[in-house]
Amino acid sequence: MRDPKSLGQSLLDIASRHMPAEVARFVAQGVPQPGQQLQRGLFFGYFAGVGRRTRELDFKPTAAERGELEALGIIAPEAFTLGTLSRVALLALGCSALEPRDHASLLKDAYGKGDNGERVAVLRSLILLPDPRRFLDIAAEACRTHVQDVFEAIACDNPYPEHYFPDASFNQLVIKALFTDVSLARMRGLKARKNPELYRMARDYEAERRAASRTVSSDLAYVAHDLENEP
Amino acid sequence: MKMFDPHVHMTSRTTDDYAAMAAAGIRAVIEPSFWLGQPRTHVGSFEDYFLSLLGWERFRASQFGIRHFCTMALNPKEANNADIAQGVIDLLPRYLEKDGVVAVGEIGFDEMSEAEEGYFRQQVELARTFELPLLVHTPHRDKKRGTEFTISLIREMGFPEERVLIDHNNEETLPVVLETKCWAGHTIYPHTKMDEQRMAALVKKYGPDRILVNSSADWGVSDVLKVPKTVAVMREQGIAEAAIEKIVWDNPVEFFSQSGRLDLARTKIDQSQLFEGNSVLRGQSPQIET
Repeated sequence: MRDPKSLGQSLLDIASRHMPAEVARFVAQGVPQPGQQLQRGLFFGYFAGVGRRTRELDFKPTAAERGELEALGIIAPEAFTLGTLSRVALLALGCSALEPRDHASLLKDAYGKGDNGERVAVLRSLILLPDPRRFLDIAAEACRTHVQDVFEAIACDNPYPEHYFPDASFNQLVIKALFTDVSLARMRGLKARKNPELYRMARDYEAERRAASRTVSSDLAYVAHDLENEP
Repeated sequence: MKMFDPHVHMTSRTTDDYAAMAAAGIRAVIEPSFWLGQPRTHVGSFEDYFLSLLGWERFRASQFGIRHFCTMALNPKEANNADIAQGVIDLLPRYLEKDGVVAVGEIGFDEMSEAEEGYFRQQVELARTFELPLLVHTPHRDKKRGTEFTISLIREMGFPEERVLIDHNNEETLPVVLETKCWAGHTIYPHTKMDEQRMAALVKKYGPDRILVNSSADWGVSDVLKVPKTVAVMREQGIAEAAIEKIVWDNPVEFFSQSGRLDLARTKIDQSQLFEGNSVLRGQSPQIET
């Protein structure tokens, strides 16, 4: 786990290589200045404005950059847009300007009042920052969303649930993924976190679908039966 | 046939919907307080929402000849929001006393968290204190376990089962509910929950006693005419007219009359009326029944 400042700066360096100079300058303006108190309103303004300025820009990291991102803890760089990467960088740098006890409040504010793209960035940042357990309530709240992109930001290609969710939350996440046709192949830690209650929930869901004359997906059948039987 | 939609979120719907519902025979609706599709960030947002259910929305319905009632509660999903949940509970005693509030609800479970259980218990006690029935939402995920858990809590707390309506049932949960004295609601949705054909099959199998149907229409893809559409399918399937009427009128009337506040006396439509200076009309000639 890197300290937020070096994490943020490293991510910002990579992101900046993929954007026009004026966009990079805009993002850099959102970086809190050393020795100055973080002005949240201003900070969140830049955090929001990143979206519009990066929306049309492709993000195709080189092999070397992919290696850098993975070394920073981003296990699936393909899940990051340039906007998400830039915003995660800003969040990390925003945290670096605060006492650790204020990090959760910054992220909660960013999530609670963010649009969908901002929320995705918050959820992608949780696992990268020090002591991710502090952010469990934000991650749990994300599981209640009806917005598919936001749900996928916590459920897919994100190690946070595998490492920090209690069984009850992890099981809800898996069942909601099945409800919303999210591919379980994109969920991390399913085998490591398998448990009898999850099989029971999956089998009940399977029975419910059969009683309603609905199809049963291969993912649902896998959780209900194959996952339990795997050696 | 007179019909009652005992679960519909009219705040999210248009005046065209009210007109279509009235034309289809819907004479009364119940609007449970619920979430807004995204989490609220202040307790005050709930208070204004409660006030709108009691005020503007009831007026809008009246302008189309529909009686509007509501239920009030902290909904299951937002029970998990520690920043606001207790504040909403603290608002409820003031609002549960109001005319037009015919139950505590929707309470229940979303992900069956400890917070949801805690607020469920508090709101069961509020229902007891304010002598109101309970409207209970069953979860989308892990529905059967959520239904069984609801029933176990109701029994443990000694709340009268006949004053509990357990909603959003399906083939797996209806027999569980009918084994109790609770009432069983069914939400007829375009693609999920329950459809008209399946509902008719359940009525054929279990009969009409303690069974209700609703549209739960809201801001999502849903249909305010699902109650009349279910009536049509039940007729096609040969279900007796008396049984159908019991499901879409007598049962909701009997259940919510337990509140002592279900005043179904129809008032004449008078669209010349204003509510706090506002009309539902936009330049049209007002309809005035004589």
